[in-house]
Amino acid sequence: MASNIKYPEDHSMWFIEGDKLALITDVDSSGNTVTSSRKKWKAIQEAVTDGIVLFYNAEPNKVSAITDTPDIDNSMHNSLIDYVKRCLYMDKAGSAPDPNQSAVAMQMANFHNQRWVEATRKFGIKKRDKVGGTKAIVPPDLR
Amino acid sequence: MAVHSLTVKQIISRVRQVFPDAPETYVMSLINDGLLELASYDTKTAHAKITTAANQMWYDLSDSAYSSSGSTYKLEINKVNKVYLMDSDGDYIQIPRLTNDNLLLTDISSESALNAPDTT
Repeated sequence: MASNIKYPEDHSMWFIEGDKLALITDVDSSGNTVTSSRKKWKAIQEAVTDGIVLFYNAEPNKVSAITDTPDIDNSMHNSLIDYVKRCLYMDKAGSAPDPNQSAVAMQMANFHNQRWVEATRKFGIKKRDKVGGTKAIVPPDLR
Repeated sequence: MAVHSLTVKQIISRVRQVFPDAPETYVMSLINDGLLELASYDTKTAHAKITTAANQMWYDLSDSAYSSSGSTYKLEINKVNKVYLMDSDGDYIQIPRLTNDNLLLTDISSESALNAPDTT
């Protein structure tokens, strides 16, 4: 069932409030524009099955079996190893009875943390961006 | 040629080069923690449909929200990029986002989805 809004781009808007999507329109349930200047932006006045399509960033699925492949781009799979090792070295640093062992484990935890941070924050966007980034090195024109 | 990707088993085997006794379930839970942290970046794009209700302004985007396809289709939204609304021809047209909703006078007297405060 189609809606009664002929030009949604002119008569409806959305905004986010917390974890809610707010949808407002200035047309009534018959699709006629509300003439009152005040009180014209209201909730949508009609029920429309599948009326909204959202394009959004979703959370990756969790892994639950050893045969699973992490639900992120494969360029980020190696970074997960750094994340796991970071955590395990931190555990080791906290539980090692020998202070020297603990210090070495902490250094390794920092090393893997740096690699993780670099992969996610510094290069994360570039690695996942399917359209941006340099495709080839272009030498400068020296003439 | 298929691109190279790692399974959980391969990740565990690489971790066990250094931590031979690392429990499988613990490593898997750490992988899920890492995925959760990665989720704050745009790692996965999805599209979903929602059914509008008459006189309902706010639509749930929380972790428990699901699409109009049914309760098994959890939205799992981190960030909404675009919203399309069905027009009178049944086509989906992109609608603008209002970045500062305080600029606009809205009437919520017909609102049917107001959240009541918790009762004691």
